[in-house]
Amino acid sequence: MMLRPLTIAAIAAALLAAPTAAQETIKIGIPVGLSGANSVVAPSVVQSSEFAAKEINEAGGILGKQIELVVADDNSGAQGAQRAFESLVYEEKVDVLISMETSAARNAGLPIVNRGRTPYIYTSFYEGRSCSPWMYINAWVPEQQVAPIVDHFMSEYEAKSYFLIGSDYAFGRGMLEFTRAYVESKGGEVLGEEYLPMDGSDWTAIISQLKASGADALITSTAGGAPNVTLTKQLRAAGVDLPYGNLAVDEGTAKSMGGDATGIYIAASYVTGIDSAENKAFLEGMAAMFGDDLITPNDLSVPQYEAIYAYKAAVEMAGATDAQGVIDTLDDVSVTGPRGTITMNAQRHAALTMYLGQVQSDGTVNVIQSFENVDPGEQCPQFAN
Amino acid sequence: MANLALDMITTSAILFIVASGLMIILGVMKLINFAHGAFLTVGGYAAYLTTEAGLSPWLAPLLAVAAGFGAGIIVERIIVRPLYHRPLDAILATWGLGIIIGQLITLGFGREVQFAASPMTGTLDLGGVEYSAYRLTLTAFAIAIGAALTALLYLTRFGLNARAVIMNETLARGVGIDSARVRSLTFGLGAGLACGAGALITPLLSVDPNMGLPWLVNSFMLVLVSGVSIPSLAVASLILGSAQVAVSTYVSPIIGGLTIVVLAAVLLRLYPKGLGRGM
Amino acid sequence: MACDGSGPVGTSPITRRVRRTALIGAAVATVVVATAPFQLDIYTKNVLIRAFFLAALAMTVDVLWGYTGILTFGQSAFFGIGAYACALVATHYGFGPFWFAGSFLIALLAAVAVAWLIGWLAFYHGASPLYASIVTLALPIVFVQLIFAGGRFTGSSSGISSFPSYYWSFETWFWIAGGYLIAVTVLGYLLVKSDFGRVLVAIRENEERCAYLGVPVSRVKILLMMAAGAIGAGAGFGYAAFTNVVAPELGGFLLGTELLIFTALGGRGTLIGPVLGTIGIDVTASYLSGSLPFLWKLITGVAFVVVIVLLPQGLIPILGQGLRRLWPWRRPALASEVALHSFAPTTPHGETPSAPLRTEGLRRHYGSLKVLDGIAIESRGSELLSIVGPNGAGKTTLMRCVSDGGERSSGQVFVNGTEIGRGTPQSVVALGIGRSFQNTNLFETLTVADCLMLARWRIDGASLFARRSEIALPRPAVGILEATGLDQALATETRNLSHGQKRGLELAMVLATEPSVLLLDEPTAGLTKAERTAIGDVLITLAREHGLSILLIEHDLDFVRDISDRIVVLHQGALLMEGTVDEVIASELVKAVYSGQTVEPAP
Repeated sequence: MMLRPLTIAAIAAALLAAPTAAQETIKIGIPVGLSGANSVVAPSVVQSSEFAAKEINEAGGILGKQIELVVADDNSGAQGAQRAFESLVYEEKVDVLISMETSAARNAGLPIVNRGRTPYIYTSFYEGRSCSPWMYINAWVPEQQVAPIVDHFMSEYEAKSYFLIGSDYAFGRGMLEFTRAYVESKGGEVLGEEYLPMDGSDWTAIISQLKASGADALITSTAGGAPNVTLTKQLRAAGVDLPYGNLAVDEGTAKSMGGDATGIYIAASYVTGIDSAENKAFLEGMAAMFGDDLITPNDLSVPQYEAIYAYKAAVEMAGATDAQGVIDTLDDVSVTGPRGTITMNAQRHAALTMYLGQVQSDGTVNVIQSFENVDPGEQCPQFAN
Repeated sequence: MANLALDMITTSAILFIVASGLMIILGVMKLINFAHGAFLTVGGYAAYLTTEAGLSPWLAPLLAVAAGFGAGIIVERIIVRPLYHRPLDAILATWGLGIIIGQLITLGFGREVQFAASPMTGTLDLGGVEYSAYRLTLTAFAIAIGAALTALLYLTRFGLNARAVIMNETLARGVGIDSARVRSLTFGLGAGLACGAGALITPLLSVDPNMGLPWLVNSFMLVLVSGVSIPSLAVASLILGSAQVAVSTYVSPIIGGLTIVVLAAVLLRLYPKGLGRGM
Repeated sequence: MACDGSGPVGTSPITRRVRRTALIGAAVATVVVATAPFQLDIYTKNVLIRAFFLAALAMTVDVLWGYTGILTFGQSAFFGIGAYACALVATHYGFGPFWFAGSFLIALLAAVAVAWLIGWLAFYHGASPLYASIVTLALPIVFVQLIFAGGRFTGSSSGISSFPSYYWSFETWFWIAGGYLIAVTVLGYLLVKSDFGRVLVAIRENEERCAYLGVPVSRVKILLMMAAGAIGAGAGFGYAAFTNVVAPELGGFLLGTELLIFTALGGRGTLIGPVLGTIGIDVTASYLSGSLPFLWKLITGVAFVVVIVLLPQGLIPILGQGLRRLWPWRRPALASEVALHSFAPTTPHGETPSAPLRTEGLRRHYGSLKVLDGIAIESRGSELLSIVGPNGAGKTTLMRCVSDGGERSSGQVFVNGTEIGRGTPQSVVALGIGRSFQNTNLFETLTVADCLMLARWRIDGASLFARRSEIALPRPAVGILEATGLDQALATETRNLSHGQKRGLELAMVLATEPSVLLLDEPTAGLTKAERTAIGDVLITLAREHGLSILLIEHDLDFVRDISDRIVVLHQGALLMEGTVDEVIASELVKAVYSGQTVEPAP
């Protein structure tokens, strides 16, 4: 009897895939900054990934295959990311990369992703307009985050003049450039836009300029962690009590700043206080799995959790883990998670519900207002068709 | 204008506090302690632990000095003493020590930002100018540290011995000064000052494993420009600190961040022996 | 003494052996690099390609730090310059063979220009080694800040990635990276094993002494920095072209210090050690640091401190010694095959139109302390002029002021009729001054032959990539070598010489520079009576037969009386008296000075 072409192809595929298929798992690579600048938030990202994997595996896996996570440290930088991506793509031969990383690490990984033809879902908010045929992004960009804060300042405080302070790096500059444009488009005025090097910790001169400018409101976008804390402490020490919007603070950092953070406005696509069944279930599941070791879920770890589900949905829709198939279907699937229902679009970004919050004296964030399905705008028009 | 002058003075005072420990070690031991940044960090964590223990934040600098002094004596014995005659190697070994301290802190406390209580908050009204009360307090601390160091060097037996070693070590040994002991105490003192400085600047900074690093290069530059003398360190701090504030205010804070490094390199090219010529 | 060279001119036996070693090493390495891609998996290939480029950079750190003693924190900046030249041109201007080659050229030129600037800042005469370290420390800090300030153009903190490049196969890139590393390492090896390489070691061991032998130390260091910068930029260019990524950290301070760690662990001053060390550490890090992120850094930190404190020579040499113990085979020393020639010196005999050395109103003060106060002396050809005076009279300061234009506070110094201005020691040496020093700390690890070659550098030059097989010295220098037995000890390292031999070598080195004015600072200190007599005879011969003008500082008044033509007496920085031996010996004034009485100088 003659073998039908389809059978031959199936056998060939089975033989070729033998080394990886033998274990019957789907490998998800997670390059993340276990050391370096991102090491504060990285453990929470690993936890939410582990939780997603556990849930999916207990429910029967993806297409009957169990998920296996492979975590690699990228040292929060370009050189470390090269090592991590190469190891995951070439050595571990993962099926997909899903990760929250610095922009430098993401950029360093992209050429490897392109050469290795591996789907990549980037789950960190960032400065926008990073495009690769192999990459999707499910976190916010400046277009989505800046508007809620500025709109609120304009309506609530009638703030017309703004002072912008940032760390001199891609995210800091990207955010503030967009903020300036947005403020001016709304009829406001930017009185100053000043930056300090990323490792700088002496904001004295900038704070003096801020005080001299007479601005109505302050918006900052520093590097996470230390610069954010030093700036806030020094602002408070100098007696600055303007309406203060911080584009780089999350709930955890706000807590570590103690009383200095009180009153700061933040905008995020996730805060723990979201009142939905999915979020409650998520928080309870996380608490049950990690107990005392739980690191509070945040705006970086939750997109990571949802991205794993988005990948699951795409593989199930495509019917296989082949890279091109997954890439082609990722913009067709929707995932309902702690942040609500999210669909990544043809330009590889996602419309998100954004929450405007204010830090309370006990460090928690009080949600003041939510904005449904804020559009990310034109991010990668080359993929639109 | 008054605000600018205050910015200049307080910035210079902070630089003076941070660099003084490095200068003492350079003066007596003729070597650069590249673990200086790590000692500042240790001071920051001393402040954090003080807060954790529920003690008054005013105690933090004192505890930091004690911890730094002890650590300095041990480090001197193990790492620095074999390298007296290899000053460039001493730079590298202390740099390696800085890496070790940084990683130990990371392993022990994690890399996240820690919270240390501030001893005081708010502003003071100086004839119409509202200014950060803690920065003004630091200026007073800088003056006190300068005075205390001067007293230590000129009014005590240790100071006499240390000055003798600074001027001519061979001769000092010849007249019976135990220069090994002087060096050991000096390194302890330098490390103690660095830790104390770390605790003092913590209320303006965040406590994290890398908090001291950005200060290392600037302190290093300051000390080389000033040479070994307390008044000239004060002068160098004033010149370079004011220049940094002026450039940050009138040109750009980014270039301001480079001011000390670049200006010091140029000053040293013009005055190779430093401003103090005490070396 | 004339000896027949045993090979064609320019290739000494030692050169041939060095070249043979380089050839064998390069051949073995080439075979390994050529075949390895077929044995390795893609991941290891990737890791090694990047490690090869970093190793080439570490090699330049070793030449600068290990061999020449310049502790540089800034080599990473050159790597960054090369990488960004590649990325920026490809991103913003164009891509293709022409653009690719053009950006490579831009990388090299930019690196050379920056290296020149750094060298000019850091390596002026009298700069402390610490200052050079500071400047190299500032370089990567400024570089990274400029990249950040470049915003979209340079990609700021995110760097630039996925710019057009040649997506050749991993094998091809492996051969390119391996080939580059082998080529620059062979080049480095030939350089450090050449005559020029011995000059570098001499600069590391005693920079001041080199300057007084007429070696243009600053220029050598600047040129070396430029070459190292270009090689580093080439490596960075390759790294960026292969990985398709540039980020500020490639030019940053941390990479700069990591290179020092690689070099120290691999074994500074061994060249091959840092290269293998970098590859070994980087590959280990690739496999380990992912699973032990913080511990890995702690381990490297501890290893670094241990190596610096306890094993300054590094780990690879220790492995090498272990292997050698297992396989006890030692190559015979070849420096003894250097042949010594002598020739008649060309120094003019007898009277020259102007005095060999003349000073006018020479002053040197430190603050209010006057060490020299208006000295006017004049030496003559074929004359032995002794300068005497009690301790602190200013004798050594006088020597310093006439041999280094930067030393005096005011006044003029003329050497063979030319004013020395503010010239560096090597420029004064070029006018005809030869100066010997009180202490006999020469160049510890240099051999006698190396020292003599070094002394001839100003006149004969030094080959960049070869060792000479013969050294031609003026006859008086050879005479001293023969008298002290050094002509039979050319391969001996100077630290193993006797005190008398060190003195002899010191004098021979100064004479090898063919000076017309010889400044000698206590040449007989610590010598036996017989050695003193021998030196005295040599000095008399130099003055009488070769027409040298000799200025001598001596405490041994008997020696002074025996050989001097004229004596100058200094006291408290002023010229007390000047006269013939008999006049000075008879002077009551001089007796008073030496017995410690307070006296006023003669009007």
